Amino acid sequence: MTTTSTKQVPRLDEMTRSELIQYLKDTVKPEEGLIPSYIFSHPKVYELEMEKIFLKDWLFVAHKSEIPNIGDFVTREMGGQSVIVTHGADGEIHVLLNVCTHRGMKLCRMDNGNQKNFTCPYHGFNFKNTGDLIGIPFQKVVYGETMDKSKMGLKEIRHDVYADLIFATLNSEAVSLEDFLGDIKWYLDLAFNRAEMEVVGLPQKWNVDGTWKLGSDNTISDSYHTLVSHGSIAKLGLVPTGDYSKYGYQIYTGNGHGLNLGMPNPDGFAFPESLIDEYKERLNEDQYDILKQMKNMIVCVSPNIMILISSMDLKGQKISHTSLRIWKPTGPDSMEISSWMLVEKNATEEWKRLSEQAFTLTFGASGIFEQDDTENFTDITQNSKSPYHLQENIVFNYTMGMHQKPVEDFVGPGIVYKDKFNEANSRAFFRNWLDQITAE
Amino acid sequence: MHENIILQHEIEQWLYKESELLDQLNFDGWYELLSEEISYTMPLRINQMEKSKPDYSEATLLFDDDSTTLKLRIDRMKTDMAWAELPPSRTRRNVSNVKIKEVSENEVAVHSNLLLYRSRSTDTTADLISGERKDVLRKENGDWKLVSRWFLADQTSLGTRNLAIFV
Repeated sequence: MTTTSTKQVPRLDEMTRSELIQYLKDTVKPEEGLIPSYIFSHPKVYELEMEKIFLKDWLFVAHKSEIPNIGDFVTREMGGQSVIVTHGADGEIHVLLNVCTHRGMKLCRMDNGNQKNFTCPYHGFNFKNTGDLIGIPFQKVVYGETMDKSKMGLKEIRHDVYADLIFATLNSEAVSLEDFLGDIKWYLDLAFNRAEMEVVGLPQKWNVDGTWKLGSDNTISDSYHTLVSHGSIAKLGLVPTGDYSKYGYQIYTGNGHGLNLGMPNPDGFAFPESLIDEYKERLNEDQYDILKQMKNMIVCVSPNIMILISSMDLKGQKISHTSLRIWKPTGPDSMEISSWMLVEKNATEEWKRLSEQAFTLTFGASGIFEQDDTENFTDITQNSKSPYHLQENIVFNYTMGMHQKPVEDFVGPGIVYKDKFNEANSRAFFRNWLDQITAE
Repeated sequence: MHENIILQHEIEQWLYKESELLDQLNFDGWYELLSEEISYTMPLRINQMEKSKPDYSEATLLFDDDSTTLKLRIDRMKTDMAWAELPPSRTRRNVSNVKIKEVSENEVAVHSNLLLYRSRSTDTTADLISGERKDVLRKENGDWKLVSRWFLADQTSLGTRNLAIFV
């Protein structure tokens, strides 16, 4: 005798594209706070994400301070594609497809450097750092007069800059960066326009067997996990105990972007006092007022950027640090984290040094805040892979704060909730995500 | 010559002892091997073409610790909320190619290779962290103490979920 069951596991891999989209629309219910488990690892969902989000959105590739001089470049990945971000001989920033136009070899295989030209290791095609093809070995012999070099330059990827953040998109029809960012710009100013900021070194990178979405989801709304996931930090006395992470605002600005703003700061001003004039000059009055009271700020720019300002007591001194990371998808159930540390260019060397140390200790690859998050991302993703979750349509509960009403008296833009213990931003994030991957 | 062999043996035994303490999660025991003046750093490995330039960056450090912050890390492990290592990973630190580079009155500079195997949870694939250590040990009150550790991993993008372990 065999055990029989009438229950079927939905076969997403056997569905047509429109059946799959309908299935997603039927099962993902952000407004009800119901997010099904399978979306966190299913390969068919990942395919849609790559095509409809990562080939469509504006993605972060570099900070301007990483390529200050003509000839400077960094190589980065976006939408599964390697690109070279250069400060070209023409003084302009270029984002170039890192693919030789002759036969497809990866042109540059360094992380950073300064070069006038990039020579392909395969046949020696030589490109300027502006992307122009300038040399072909034995051109006359092998092509006669048939090769038009002006049509064989490296493919230039559409890009734009806000607050010294260089974004690029693989979608020539994307809305402007300005429109894509919308009101999140007001808060990006606090992070990257409050003073002249510079990247320290190069991004740290490490790999997690967890979906990129959990990173963004955690970033955009989850101050609640701090109590438990990061409980060890409070036990050490580095942050206050109890519900300290509740105080402040949860803000959604549209297009999947939002933040949690922790304030007021019981320890006082978290930034270098010596730069107050610079802050006042660069920020408007309302923004400066928020900066004065800020304890921390964690911003999600969809699809996969996290921006963090965090302050703490280290070695008897109050110190803050600023960083930006991307949750780069590397598969349906895995991601690479790349994390950039930034600091005020005009801060004292002593302040910079302590800020760097505070960042590494708390949010670098070895960070004592950082490391506990990766457990959550890994184990949720691994759980979600079981076909049982599809068979039973196991859904997770994102209903926190549905009884709350937004407040009207906050000075910054967006839909603003008082207190940060709320999943409203995750509901908004998944609505935006669902709309994107189910778009025709 | 005889003295060199004895010193080599002593330093190797010290490194093995250190590995054993860390593999056995005896962090307090490990902390006792450190000098109060310890500098514990891990620069970032990068892809660099020109052989004349170092293929790492010391502007970005993955560990940037001294005795105060290392103590914080250890105290954190003792809370019941240090989830990254709860339950702990199984680790094996294989130290090899131990080369004494410089000897002064009470200090030795020693280079070695580290192959750190990390098995986490029920994972069937293990994480490997391979790299190069540059250490300075100093005789303090008759015992060798670690004054400086510089660890450079071989991967530019680490194949492990975090550095909740010591290198």
